[in-house]
Amino acid sequence: MAQNPRPRSSLLDSLGEEIVRIVTPVSICMFLVVILVSVLNSSSSSSGSVTSIATIAYSETDSDSSWDKFVGALLNSLAFVAVVTVVTFVLVLLFYLRCTKFLKLYMGFSAFIVLGFMGGEVSLFLIQDFSIPIDCIAFFLLLFNFAVVGVLAVFMSKMAIFVTQGYLVIIGMLVAYWFTMLPEWTTWVLLVAMALYDLAAVLLPVGPLRLLVELAISRDEDIPALVYEARPVTHHDSGNNGGNQRRVWRERSEPATTESENSVDRPATVPNSNSMPDSHPHSASVSDRETSLSAPLLERRASIESERRREDAALGDNLALEGMGLGSSGAIKLGLGDFIFYSVLVGRAAMYDFMTVYACYLAIMAGLGVTLMLLAFYQKALPALPVSVLLGVLFYILTRFVLEIFIVQLSSNLLMF
Amino acid sequence: MTVAAGIGYSLIALGPSLSLFVSVISKKPFLILTVLSSMLLWLISLIVMSGLWRAFLPISSSAWWPYAILIITSVGFQEGLRVFFWRIYKKLEDILDAFADRVSKPRLFLTDKMQIALAGGLGHGVAHAVFFCLSLLTPAFGPATFYIEKCSKMPFFLVSALIALSFVTIHTFSMVIAFNGYAEGNKVDQIFVPVVHMVAGLMTLVNFAHGGCMIGIPLLYLMAMLTLMHCGKMVWRRLTENRGRQESSQ
Repeated sequence: MAQNPRPRSSLLDSLGEEIVRIVTPVSICMFLVVILVSVLNSSSSSSGSVTSIATIAYSETDSDSSWDKFVGALLNSLAFVAVVTVVTFVLVLLFYLRCTKFLKLYMGFSAFIVLGFMGGEVSLFLIQDFSIPIDCIAFFLLLFNFAVVGVLAVFMSKMAIFVTQGYLVIIGMLVAYWFTMLPEWTTWVLLVAMALYDLAAVLLPVGPLRLLVELAISRDEDIPALVYEARPVTHHDSGNNGGNQRRVWRERSEPATTESENSVDRPATVPNSNSMPDSHPHSASVSDRETSLSAPLLERRASIESERRREDAALGDNLALEGMGLGSSGAIKLGLGDFIFYSVLVGRAAMYDFMTVYACYLAIMAGLGVTLMLLAFYQKALPALPVSVLLGVLFYILTRFVLEIFIVQLSSNLLMF
Repeated sequence: MTVAAGIGYSLIALGPSLSLFVSVISKKPFLILTVLSSMLLWLISLIVMSGLWRAFLPISSSAWWPYAILIITSVGFQEGLRVFFWRIYKKLEDILDAFADRVSKPRLFLTDKMQIALAGGLGHGVAHAVFFCLSLLTPAFGPATFYIEKCSKMPFFLVSALIALSFVTIHTFSMVIAFNGYAEGNKVDQIFVPVVHMVAGLMTLVNFAHGGCMIGIPLLYLMAMLTLMHCGKMVWRRLTENRGRQESSQ
């Protein structure tokens, strides 16, 4: 009787592993934001809009005409992009003057603010909605501990990788949730504006992100920023080339991208007044909180390790596979701003209907895949936001205006194919 | 009817695919990517079809023939896209084989190729269930339920979940049959898949009649089982042939 041969290791066992390791946390972040949005927004309609840096030019009301809303949203986005550009240049300046300590402290501080205050407010919403019995002191204690551990996780690189990854996903989720509270037109135009800004900032020679990345590469240092790492990479503070990890910066200049992060870029000149008038969540000015996030949440484009010798040898398709992170040596890092803006897009889609959520999710994944392939092909800094966001917006529009009526017509009559 | 019912309906439609995913697909990252890309392809085909038909919707008449034309065109387009998917897969297979030679790993086995086909089919099936069933399931998480007149014995959500389940099965396994048919040049397999798809699609027209779903759903399951059996027979035959060939060559 023939025995089953022992399972032979096949090519398919580990191919594409790195990509899946990035796709998974992005999907989890999007999923959490969608859940938050659908749970918290179903109970209360958006009674007021959030005043923040993104709505200084115009605050949308329901009674305006579409054209007014569009122009208002455009003004908002332009103001926002202008602020982000200025702050990015400030960041480049600080990095140039080697104020790395300051930047790292700022990073930790803003992580604390996000986790503590934004996380606290979201928990308060949840407690209100579900009538969870918990007292102030216990809540404060839990929240404080949660925030402090989060700061340690992003600040120090010695924490278990899973904890760091988890906290980064949570930070991304919280910031994305706050962004979805912006008025609708503003959100969509802002997403497109940030995608275009990203394109410009990374590809143009005067783009701030390109300058930042080139500075980092020439000094062989890490940019102090919140970056999601798919696998643990030890950081060296010294400038010497410490093993594998540094090579990634030499090989391809990271396309650092937007700092959209968060919009919160408020130049350091704005006093970080921690007066949070928190009686009514909607009218709370999110600006102070947002400010804290400016520097840290630098988006970096996925960087893929590729060893130099392989680059010489491989050609064409083989290189594409290797460089895409499908090779066994690939380790992908993705900036937190990417997480945030993808989740904002999907969260906004969730406010309309779940069909748009699924369509936008697939579009974003496709965009991410295309970006990674382009990166492997062009071997230089590329922004990750544009392809995904533009595809996502396109699919949202197509689904909302074309697909939905088709599907609802068919399936409400129980016709399927 | 509450979250439990909503989750229950989703699991009826997607339960088997979820277990397939967890047991087979999640172990190999490449298959996960295949599932995502085939879901995207299916979505694109849906969007193209809905774009073409946009001018004629909503169909206000309750006659069945506009829907029949709709279904026939959509199924035809999707089957055409399946051939396209096959061509892309062939190119990918060549790339993967070249890569395997370069890193001195074994080339793609027959089981690998079948797993890729299964992942592709699963992507199509899950996309179908998600767009036709899950996206309408949102009210089911609330406090009430919904019945439609033509099929008044069961809640609407349950009916659509059952139909979605049968279609998921059909999509998943017909991709395996189709890829195998194209690889071997087997005409029977190649014709089998579009025919089954078209017949299943047109069978749902039965749901138009009052109480039609009582006949329609069992017939759909019949098609699904037919697909399953055909796929099973074909896979068994190929695997035993392959094993026989390997043993004889050793």
